[in-house]
Amino acid sequence: MHESSTVGIIANPASARDIRRIVADGGSVTTHDKLSRLRRVMSGLGSVGVRRVISMADRGGIMAGLLRASAGVSAKGWPTLEFVEQPVTHSPEDTTTATRAMVEAGVGSLVVLGGDGTNRLVASHSAETPLVSMSTGTNNAFPRPVEATVAGMAAGLVATSEGCRDAGTYRAKKLEVRAGDRLEQALVDVAISEDGSVGSGALWDVADLSELFLCFAEPGSIGLSAIGAHMQTSSRRSKTGLHLVLSPQSPTRVLAPIGPGLVSAVGVQSASVLEAGARQDPRSPRGVIAIDGERMVPFGPGNRPSVTLRTNGPVVVDVEATLHAASSEGLLRSVARGSPLDDNSNTRTKKQTAEPWEVST
Amino acid sequence: MNPMNRLELYTEMVRIRQYESRILQEYHGDKAPAWDIGAGLIPGEMHLSAGQEPAAVGVCAHLKKGDAITAPHRPHHFALAHGVDMNAMTAEIYGRTTGLCKGKGGHMHLFDPENHFSCSGIIAQGYPVACGQALAMKRRGTDNVAIAVAGEGAANQGAFHESLNLAAVWNLPVVFVIEDNDWAISVPRSDSTATTSNADRAAGYGIPGVRVENNDVEAVFEAAGAAVDRARAGEGPSLIEVHTLRLWGHFEGDAQAYRTDLETVDERDPIPRYAQALLASGDLVEEQVQQIAEAADAEVDAAIQFSLNSPIPAAEDALLHVFA
Repeated sequence: MHESSTVGIIANPASARDIRRIVADGGSVTTHDKLSRLRRVMSGLGSVGVRRVISMADRGGIMAGLLRASAGVSAKGWPTLEFVEQPVTHSPEDTTTATRAMVEAGVGSLVVLGGDGTNRLVASHSAETPLVSMSTGTNNAFPRPVEATVAGMAAGLVATSEGCRDAGTYRAKKLEVRAGDRLEQALVDVAISEDGSVGSGALWDVADLSELFLCFAEPGSIGLSAIGAHMQTSSRRSKTGLHLVLSPQSPTRVLAPIGPGLVSAVGVQSASVLEAGARQDPRSPRGVIAIDGERMVPFGPGNRPSVTLRTNGPVVVDVEATLHAASSEGLLRSVARGSPLDDNSNTRTKKQTAEPWEVST
Repeated sequence: MNPMNRLELYTEMVRIRQYESRILQEYHGDKAPAWDIGAGLIPGEMHLSAGQEPAAVGVCAHLKKGDAITAPHRPHHFALAHGVDMNAMTAEIYGRTTGLCKGKGGHMHLFDPENHFSCSGIIAQGYPVACGQALAMKRRGTDNVAIAVAGEGAANQGAFHESLNLAAVWNLPVVFVIEDNDWAISVPRSDSTATTSNADRAAGYGIPGVRVENNDVEAVFEAAGAAVDRARAGEGPSLIEVHTLRLWGHFEGDAQAYRTDLETVDERDPIPRYAQALLASGDLVEEQVQQIAEAADAEVDAAIQFSLNSPIPAAEDALLHVFA
């Protein structure tokens, strides 16, 4: 590790509160629970030498809770904490404004607390900054389950060590959606629903879906991508995606967990590999486009949409691979010289007195 | 959601807005001196609900005969959306004998046994009452539901917490609605509340809690529909918090000097925004905008005329129909 670095934090205060608490068995991630995870992230970041954190401003309790915690005794060893100077609009705009500010400030990585929706917003502005995504949402195919302390360490290691960044990150795919003037992107799935209403946003009923475009389809996921995963798998690391045509009448049915507590048998008419760069035009003449599980864009003959898979999505941190790299590089060990455990793989030289995980100043 | 639903939601929101706008005019029209709330044809305090129509309309769209609502001190939108007779309600606001409470309750005390509608100026006190109504419905074996409405400030009252707890323990068919308009009179939520969403508090009592952002009537409609269905099916209580907007003062005469968000209030008005969305989707056409507003105005005019033509209670009747 060579220099002190800055890490950004974006924690969506509104995640895990939508209608899926009633129509499905969506869990509750309270503000207090989100703050507990953030405290763990801060400890993890501080432990590997991150000195400064910039966090999104909000009035949903995250900023206030972090400020309170950072003044407490348990914050010893935490990085210093700053907040983006931004107007708080209680809308997705807060996330994108904060992301842009953090990228501009040159943060070494971005820790994201939210679901697929939050990650999508961050990824649309994160450019080359690696994302450490932690799930505090409802349906999460994009963020992998990870303990917050470890996620904080990984975010710090990626920010401070080139070796960790090289070995611990990969570039994700994305789906680009155009409809009229609108350009949106998805990190997991784009679904075409023939019911034209946006309603409360969240999608939990697959009956009206006619088509599905997937960045990846990995067994073990929850959400619409699970439908594809149980038909024909597609890895998040591969260069292609998956395209499904759905039909309730189809004799081919796929059992998939599409939401918390919701396992549906979905009629699939066809499944084919989605090549990067090849523009797809959904067949339905009108309906609504759901992006990463959220109904967002109504369309009709005046704004027929197109969907294209791209391989230049966000840079994503694989937490396990990062810790693995740090361990291989000896960044997490301090072995006394001459001890039986000293295998000389430790990068410390004679002149260095700091532990390998401490940042020289 | 079909186009008819959308048009109905819009029409009902406009009906309420036209009502509140006229009451606003009438209330201030003859107050002399202006600060004397007892003066004029509409005596007493006045809390108008402009901006909060999405909460009432989205919830009440799912209610049927026998369902109950307990509303707070700002009750007109829920009363109208629940089908309380506009004439009788207006006469009550004007303090006339043809009013819901024979002119003795005023705008904060609208009691309509026919429609199981009631409201109270005592903060959060509709919550325990709704639990009682829901218990009665459950014991009678009906599939009716009780809706309890309160503001976000009320959720810091003991009655709120006790009600959620009891409803969860007894698995009552009640839907708790919190209208979060950011201001408890003049107190911002952050100064008084240890949590940022009452959906979190619902989790504490083991019941589903949903927060609806953006004062969006269709989102309220969907969330409330799911909660009402759940309650009717015997699956117990839910909480829905609607992040809404108080377009005007806490009460009429409130100068709102404390309010830091006044500049953006008008652009957040949910009704023009919904009209734009429906015009864009083709569910509403330009001529209808005017027609819907005019039809509402005519109904409101008639209700006000009915009230003005109704007698004022006689002094010798002061002790009749009162229970305390």
